[in-house]
Amino acid sequence: MSGGAGDSRQRSGPRVAVVLGSGSVKCAAALGLLKVLQREGIGIDMIVGCSGGSLYAALIALGHDAGTAEAMTRRLWTKELTKRRNNRSILSVFLPRVFGFDESFGMVNDALILDRLKEAFGASTFEEARIPLYLTATDFHTGDQVVFGSGRIVDAIRASIAIPYIFRPWPIDGRLLVDGFMSDPMPVGVAIRQGANIIVTMGFESPYQHKINSPLRFAFQLSSITSNNLLKSNFAFHNLAHHAEILPIIPEFKDSIHLFDTDKIPYVIEEGERAAERQVPYLRRLLSGV
Amino acid sequence: MLEAPRETSVSSRAPKLGVVIGSGSIKCASAIGLLRVLERERIPVDLLVGCSAGGIYASALALGWDLDALERKSCETWEGLFARLDYRSVLQGLLPGLFRSRGPVGLLDERRLKAALESLYGETAFADARVPLYIVATDLNTGDSVILSEGRLQDAVRASIAIPVLLRPVAINGRLLFDGGASDPLPVSVAIREGCDIILAMGFENPLHERVGSLMSLVSQTTCITINNLLKSTYSFYSAAHHAEIVPIIPTFDRHIGLRDSSLHPYIIERGEEAAAKQLPFLRRLLDPGVRLAGPPDPSDGN
Repeated sequence: MSGGAGDSRQRSGPRVAVVLGSGSVKCAAALGLLKVLQREGIGIDMIVGCSGGSLYAALIALGHDAGTAEAMTRRLWTKELTKRRNNRSILSVFLPRVFGFDESFGMVNDALILDRLKEAFGASTFEEARIPLYLTATDFHTGDQVVFGSGRIVDAIRASIAIPYIFRPWPIDGRLLVDGFMSDPMPVGVAIRQGANIIVTMGFESPYQHKINSPLRFAFQLSSITSNNLLKSNFAFHNLAHHAEILPIIPEFKDSIHLFDTDKIPYVIEEGERAAERQVPYLRRLLSGV
Repeated sequence: MLEAPRETSVSSRAPKLGVVIGSGSIKCASAIGLLRVLERERIPVDLLVGCSAGGIYASALALGWDLDALERKSCETWEGLFARLDYRSVLQGLLPGLFRSRGPVGLLDERRLKAALESLYGETAFADARVPLYIVATDLNTGDSVILSEGRLQDAVRASIAIPVLLRPVAINGRLLFDGGASDPLPVSVAIREGCDIILAMGFENPLHERVGSLMSLVSQTTCITINNLLKSTYSFYSAAHHAEIVPIIPTFDRHIGLRDSSLHPYIIERGEEAAAKQLPFLRRLLDPGVRLAGPPDPSDGN
């Protein structure tokens, strides 16, 4: 793990940020990007992660290489995560008074995902990260983006991946937090505010439903539509409004990748690597100050 | 010579003024206040854009309706609309298996809405508008914003106001359309694209719940959070990206205004009038022929 992306806290020259947006399993493509950056000897000065991207942002910032990070996420992210339903929450939809429908609604029992996150990250804190790390979530009551850069990484990831309707919102410091994609699916703005000059960013549109034949699918469709429009609008604004160079890395996938297609992770990483390689010449030019 | 100059130069043409009314359900009635100010000040509007309920007020001005009559109709429409839920739809939403849900739920009584829109518009079409009018909806399958400018107004307005969960999406020209707020809650983009120099943009943030106590309010909170962020994002982008002057008109309210608060019409309109009056000096300055407007981008400057 030496000589990698993690040894760059005091580099001089332009400050390079990696921003990993939301995209569930597709976010594993970040490991392909990491491989390319390491191979090319390009250091990372900060990492920003949102939703699924927060997992990989944290793993990379803590200094795991692509192989270890891949193995860790495949252990962490399995179909069992959604097997255990939260029956009380589901009943509360039908009988809100009896079963107390409230803000902790989430159809999936989240005990397992929390255990898995603890297994992977233990008590690691942002302060221990080798590369400065920022993870984003959304305040459920104000709608504002919330950026974490200190404290326990597990809590910030859990908040950042609180997918509406699936996992219950997560409280931190008296605020109830939901998935970061709801305020900014690809938080380039955080890297800009932290003074990055070159921002390598990876983001994904949320998939649309093939058939909208139930209220739940409708709710998911609605969430994809609003957040995809937000993704495009924010990206357009960030590109235009400031002086950092933003390099989008957009992997292309032949088949659709769903929330728990973790067996496709090796393929996803490969496509991430391919997409990152295409941007290397441009990135090199930017780094040499042209 | 009697021959008029064939071409007026760019600097001497009158600036093209567009009015955009964003999504905001019943709060869009504030637009009546804005329209009153424009009428009183004799400021002509060259183009109108409406999104969601904003489409109702944009179309009213485009059709030249009397503003007092509009206030009355607006109040009646909102009162009738949300008085009664369609209980079959509510049950479908909760127990889709039992009630054979056909996809997206619509909790409001569709017949009442149809009657309300019929009485507002009848067969009136975009072509009948005195001022070019555009109404924005969202394609449910692709998520793209769809700009409607042809056909019957009642169909376009019905699509644009299809607030998720409350109203079902509707098919227009083979596309399933719903609330324009989901793709572009304050569609300044349309006025820019149509070449406006000055754009009055009236927009509203969605109020968020302090406590969420039902699945419906959870869906609404989840949607509104992202739409509010989208509103800010698109507005910052449009303001930064181009050369037209955008004058924001953002009414503020000191109380919660729910869908059923049609009785608050006078208050909502007054807030709109106040917000518009506040921007009047700025607008006057922009309209002053002595002020040189940036105008359309010069193709020779490479952007």
